[in-house]
Amino acid sequence: MKILLSTFTLMMYLDPGSGSFILQILLAALLGGAYAIKVYWKKIKGLFSSSQERKDGTQTEQRHGE
Amino acid sequence: MENNVHPASFRDPSGFVFWRDGKLFRQVNRLYQKDYDCLMQSGLYSSLVQDGLMVAHEETKEPAELPELAYRVLKPETVGFISYPYEWCFGQLKGAALLTLHIQRLALEHGMTLKDASAYNIQFLGYQPILIDTLSFEEYHEGEPWVAYRQFCQHFLAPLALMAFTDVRLSQLLRVCLDGIPLDLTRRLLPWKTRWNFGLGAHIHVHALAQKHYAGQRVSTTTGGKVSKMALQGLIDNLEVTVKSLFWKPSGTEWADYYQATNYSDRAFEDKKLWVREFISRVHPSMVWDLGANTGIFSRIASGLGAKTIAFDIDPAAVELNYQECVRTKEKNLLPLVLDLTNPSPALGWANTERQALIERGEADMILALALVHHLTISNNVPLQLIAKYFARLGEWLVVEFVPKSDSQVQRLLASRKDIFTEYHQQGFEYAFGQFYETHVAQSIGDSGRVLYLMRRRKY
Repeated sequence: MKILLSTFTLMMYLDPGSGSFILQILLAALLGGAYAIKVYWKKIKGLFSSSQERKDGTQTEQRHGE
Repeated sequence: MENNVHPASFRDPSGFVFWRDGKLFRQVNRLYQKDYDCLMQSGLYSSLVQDGLMVAHEETKEPAELPELAYRVLKPETVGFISYPYEWCFGQLKGAALLTLHIQRLALEHGMTLKDASAYNIQFLGYQPILIDTLSFEEYHEGEPWVAYRQFCQHFLAPLALMAFTDVRLSQLLRVCLDGIPLDLTRRLLPWKTRWNFGLGAHIHVHALAQKHYAGQRVSTTTGGKVSKMALQGLIDNLEVTVKSLFWKPSGTEWADYYQATNYSDRAFEDKKLWVREFISRVHPSMVWDLGANTGIFSRIASGLGAKTIAFDIDPAAVELNYQECVRTKEKNLLPLVLDLTNPSPALGWANTERQALIERGEADMILALALVHHLTISNNVPLQLIAKYFARLGEWLVVEFVPKSDSQVQRLLASRKDIFTEYHQQGFEYAFGQFYETHVAQSIGDSGRVLYLMRRRKY
C-alpha cells in the first residue's frame, strides 16, 4: 500500500493546489447530484426519440461545441 | 546525450521527448509502465486515435536516450508546426479547452484520468485541436479529485473569460504567465457581473478565494473517498457548459472591414489573386507563411494548392474570422494565428528554451507579404532594408507587394503624420530588397499602381 501511495504522489507531479482540492470536493458534491439527474433525463429522452448520436457523425461537431 | 532532450520536456517524471537524427521520439520511463500499459490496453488509446483526438505513435526498437530509466521508446506522429496558446484566437483556445474536457470524459470511461490540463499539451492539425502528450494519463481510482482542475481553470477558463468579458487582447497575458493566468488576477480583471454566472463564479471567483484561504495548508491528497465518479463527471460537465457559454464576436476592429475600403478595382484584385497563384505554383512550396494575412483570402490560395500554410495577423478579429471559416470548411492545410510582426513571439520559459521564438519554428519555403510592407514602414517606421533582412531569415522564397504612396491605403496611413519616408518608392523598395533577394518576376497589378514581386533569397 505504501508503495502505491508514493507512486501516486510521484505521478501527480503537478501541484493541484490545496484550495483547488477543497473547492473541487465541495463543488463536485454539489454538481454530482444535478449531473446524475441530467444523465437520467437524457436516457429517458433517448427511449422516446430515435438515437441519432453516432460516434463518427457527431464527433467533429461535438468536439468544438460551437 | 542530454542535449537531445526537448528543453520543455522536463517536468513530468513519466517520460520525455527527445530528438535523434532529425526525428522525434518519446521515452516512456519504467516509473510510468503501469499507466502506459493501461492506456494501451484499456481501449483509451485506440478510442482517442480513431476519433482524431490524440496523436498516434509507434513503439520502436530505437535505443532509449536515458536507458537506465526507460521502459519503451515511442515514435509519435508530429504536427508540422508548433503554435502556442498566446498565439491562438478565441475560437482556437475554446476548441482546445473543449477538447481537453472531452478527453477527460473519455478517459474516465476507460478507467483513466488526465494528470495535467496544460494548454501546451494541445496543438493544431489544420482546424482541429489535438492532444500531443501521450503520457498525460494515469489510472483513475474512484474517490480521487481531479488533480488537473486548477491548471484547467488557469490555462483555459481564465483567459477565455477575460477575452469574452474584458478584452480579447488579454490572451497575451498567457505570454507572461506560462502556467495559465492566476485566478486572483483574473478575478480582478473580470467585470462584477461574472460573479453571478454560476460557472465563472465558482471556478474563478470562489476558486481564487479558496486558493488564497488555503494557501500553504497541507491537504491530504492520498486518501480516497472524497469525490465520487459521478460527482467528478458533474464537475467536468459543468466546466464544459461554462466554456461553451463563452463567446466573442469578432468585429469593430480596424481590419475586419479592411477589404471594403481599398483602392483596388475588382479586376485588379482578381489579377493579384491570379499572380499569387501563378507564383506559388511555380515554386511549389511545402510550407508557406502568410504574414499580415488578414482573413486569409490569399492564404487559401496557398493551402488550396497543397501547401501547409500558416496565416499570421496582428488583429484577433481577422484571425478569428479566418479560423471560423476554417472550421466551417474543415480546412486541413491552413492554421491562422495571432502575431505582431513588430514584436513576434519570443523564446520563453526556463532558460528561455521551453517555448520557442517564432523564428526558431521556421523557416518556411515561401513567405507571402501582401499589402504588408507599407504598414511596417509607414505605421511602424521600420526601414525597408530591415524588413527585407528579417523576411530573408524567415524563408527562402518571397512574394511581396509594393504599394505606392499614391494608393489610398498608404494615403490613409500618412493622413495623420508627417511624410518622412523619402526612400519609400519603387526604386527604393527594389534596392532594399535587392540586397537580400534576387528578383525573379516584377508584375504590375492591373491599374492599381501596385507591383507584385517573386523573389528568391540570395545565397551567401
